[in-house]
Amino acid sequence: MGRRRGSTPYLLLGPGLAWLAAFFLVPLVLLAYQSLQSGSFDFGYQFTWEFSNYWDAITNYKTQLIRSFVYAGLATLLALLISYPLVYWIAFRGGRWKNLFLLAIIAPFFVTYLIRTLAWQNILADQGMVVGILRDLHILAPDGRLLATSTAVVAGITYNFLPFMALPLYVALEQIDPRLLEAAQDLYASRLRVFLRVTLPLSLPGVFAGTLLTFIPAAGDFINAQLLGTPNQHMIGNVIQSKFLELIDYPAAAALSFVLMAFILVGVAAYSRALGTERLTG
Amino acid sequence: MNGPVTRVELLRRAALGGVAISVPGLLAACGGSDDGEGAAGTTTSSGQQQLAKTLMFSNWTLYIDIDPKTKKPGTLQQFQQKTGTTVRYFEDINDNATYFGKIQRPLSQGQSIDRDIIVLTDNSRFPGLLIDKGWAEKLDKSAIPNISNLQASLQHPSFDPNRDYSLPWQSGMTGIASNLKLTGTPVTTMDDLLENPKYKGKVTLLTEMADTMSLVMLANGDDPTNVTDASFDKAYDRIKAAVDSGQVRQFTGNDYTGPLSRGDLACCMSWSGDVVQLTQDNPNLKWNLPETGGDIWTDNMLIPKGGDAYTASAFMNFVYDPKIAAQIAAYVTYVSPVKGAREEAMKIDKKVAANTLIFPDDETLSKVKIFDSKALTNQDYLERWQTVIGA
Amino acid sequence: MSVAAQRLPVAHRRTGVWAFVKRHFLTAYAIGAFVYLLLPIAVVIAFSFNDPKGRFNYVWQGFTLDNWIHWNAVPGLQDAVVLSLEIALLSSLIATALGTLIALALVRYNFRGRGTTNLWIFLPMSTPEIVLGASLLALFLNLHFATGFATILIAHIMFNISFVVVTVKARLVGFDVHLEEAAMDLGADPWTTFRKVTLPLIAPGILAGGLLAFALSVDDFVITYFNSGSEVTFPLFVWGAARVGAPPQVNVIGTAIFVIALAAMAANILIQARRSKHAKGMA
Repeated sequence: MGRRRGSTPYLLLGPGLAWLAAFFLVPLVLLAYQSLQSGSFDFGYQFTWEFSNYWDAITNYKTQLIRSFVYAGLATLLALLISYPLVYWIAFRGGRWKNLFLLAIIAPFFVTYLIRTLAWQNILADQGMVVGILRDLHILAPDGRLLATSTAVVAGITYNFLPFMALPLYVALEQIDPRLLEAAQDLYASRLRVFLRVTLPLSLPGVFAGTLLTFIPAAGDFINAQLLGTPNQHMIGNVIQSKFLELIDYPAAAALSFVLMAFILVGVAAYSRALGTERLTG
Repeated sequence: MNGPVTRVELLRRAALGGVAISVPGLLAACGGSDDGEGAAGTTTSSGQQQLAKTLMFSNWTLYIDIDPKTKKPGTLQQFQQKTGTTVRYFEDINDNATYFGKIQRPLSQGQSIDRDIIVLTDNSRFPGLLIDKGWAEKLDKSAIPNISNLQASLQHPSFDPNRDYSLPWQSGMTGIASNLKLTGTPVTTMDDLLENPKYKGKVTLLTEMADTMSLVMLANGDDPTNVTDASFDKAYDRIKAAVDSGQVRQFTGNDYTGPLSRGDLACCMSWSGDVVQLTQDNPNLKWNLPETGGDIWTDNMLIPKGGDAYTASAFMNFVYDPKIAAQIAAYVTYVSPVKGAREEAMKIDKKVAANTLIFPDDETLSKVKIFDSKALTNQDYLERWQTVIGA
Repeated sequence: MSVAAQRLPVAHRRTGVWAFVKRHFLTAYAIGAFVYLLLPIAVVIAFSFNDPKGRFNYVWQGFTLDNWIHWNAVPGLQDAVVLSLEIALLSSLIATALGTLIALALVRYNFRGRGTTNLWIFLPMSTPEIVLGASLLALFLNLHFATGFATILIAHIMFNISFVVVTVKARLVGFDVHLEEAAMDLGADPWTTFRKVTLPLIAPGILAGGLLAFALSVDDFVITYFNSGSEVTFPLFVWGAARVGAPPQVNVIGTAIFVIALAAMAANILIQARRSKHAKGMA
């Protein structure tokens, strides 16, 4: 598609990329620099090639690191399980109102993230209706609770990132030519086989994109753990946030940030290897 | 001055509040120039200080009297009527460490945080840290003649021996709040709070190390006014056990008030004045000191660098008037640092004057201790404290 | 011979409740899922009309329109909302401009480093927000650059660029180059072609990118939290208020934003539907 080579593309790219370079790349480099410092807020920081910050970060907070990935993984899986049937229904049974139903899925996204999470705090309150019903049904112990538990935190993360899973899934499912499904049925495949052998594989790019778009931000989230959980549910995001803003321990916080990013990148690389080479960016 | 103040103007000002016109207010009317919002006060050609148009005041929640008719802070409205300065009130302080962490960033770069008065507790290291780092403005004591009303016991704190930078706002005690609907009777021992399985997962402790440590140490039979490694370790282990077992739901600053009112908590560590104000939301709440004793602390008004020292000082002077002090204390039910407030309170309401939460008698005072200030700057203690509260 | 005419060999009869359930199971599920998705929204809207006696808005105590009428009675709320809107407008305009240019370059030109550029655009979207916010703060602290309005704006533009690029690219990829060639064949110079042919056709994509950027900016909490200095945007206001009891007015603003966004999207959908109907009619 190369029409005019020369300087035009670079001129077009220039301003935007420059902005990203200045305010995305350079800060990351600075953060790396900070992660190799030592010292304290009261007495100042010095650059000392303190690689031990990374080791300390992993050993001191491996509980939170593992917990973050478990929660994010669970939330992603749940989001997939919840949204797949829903999105399938919209794509194949939605008819003329497809776009409006899609809108209904994204609608929660239009309420400020914090307000949505606070609403869950309200709904799951110990003295609220939901907990009351669950207690009556003996799903919860008589003095059991939903708030301030891992369940609430994972539920919150799932809910908040559901649109990120649903949208790519929808795009993938919507593009499937229904004639392929018809053809499969003509060849005596049962509904289940049609799904497993035709629909599901064709929707994999959407699954892949949705999983990534959900898992990555979820792993670094701290708001759900803060509002819906206790210190026993704190994720690595909570630790980073506290170290930056409350404890003013920049080197440790910076090291933790890179550890988190490294783990995510490794996870994503392994995942894409397992699923085959799918190009997200196109 | 631009010209004589006309009778019309005088009458209009008098009609505004019926309170005596203060000299700075008159000067502001004569001076004529319009200051921007929050601008520092200026000096007129005669060299006298002018009050700024706005005073930015950051405080903890449930810490000022609310006029039931207007639903706004009454004291601040009276200050505006008297001086013409509007007070913009922000209830954005939830916890000393968090707030300090937030303001130290701009302050460390020489920027102002857009506040004239902030309030920090003396049982944390932050009032002292703010002053030591040079991030506090000196009080303009010439504007605070009422400073002589400060209680004797509060006149020479270790972090500000001459009260050059700070003045107490209120003092308070830390104890246990109970939701009677869930506990039946008020919870009176730390043992119940920390180990009674009936309250598992329905208990919160305070993020402030001094508060939580004092109460637990006293329950262990140790002395929080003189912290030793042994007594710290013993209290630490006990708290950690309670956290690990799931007994403690959260560590909170001011934000225990929500879960407590909502019924998510059976009992929690809480500050003395809050519960009385919370009974509006939930009438089943009760506060008391633990049997083994609690701690007492003082919240201090400080002027962060870049704040308007003159206007802030004028405001401090206003709230150190025993009448105003009594009004505030009567509503927030915290301990007033102002001499003479009690006598004024007796004129308003005898019950208020007799309330030991506001004017503690000797018996109450004997049961509360001040946390050892040396322990506040112990790096080891601070780090371990951060791990146990889940940072 | 299509499937419908044949009887598939099945082991049981396709009648009765079970068949009904199976056929409509998916629909029932969809309804349940929608309830789940919209329940918190309903709660938020409902409690914006609540009349709490104390300072906490958890228990329903009575209906009132007061919160809507006096939506700015809460100190600081109006300033926070105004600030959020200002930043969102500015950052989405700038980010859309920058991002559209990048998208044009990526789709229309085959230059060296295209793959790498794609990667660099993707990276901010895949970096946890907390790292983005914290690293920007590190930059500003080191440069002794005061945190406040400017830094929030810079941050928002930064993370919005990637989203705009992805959105506009999706629209550009489906663009028919022949239309441009036709215009040029009819004597239009490149700039006029761009203005009169290209731009109007990709305008919906640019608009979508801009709207997305606007929405992301209004909603952003984490990155703003790190870089706001003493400025307070609406999400920051909610965070602070939540600690001490969020007043119903917070729900009011949340509902208002929700309704406006929903209306805008619904309008967009209806316009698209009408346009495609119109196009079909013309064909």
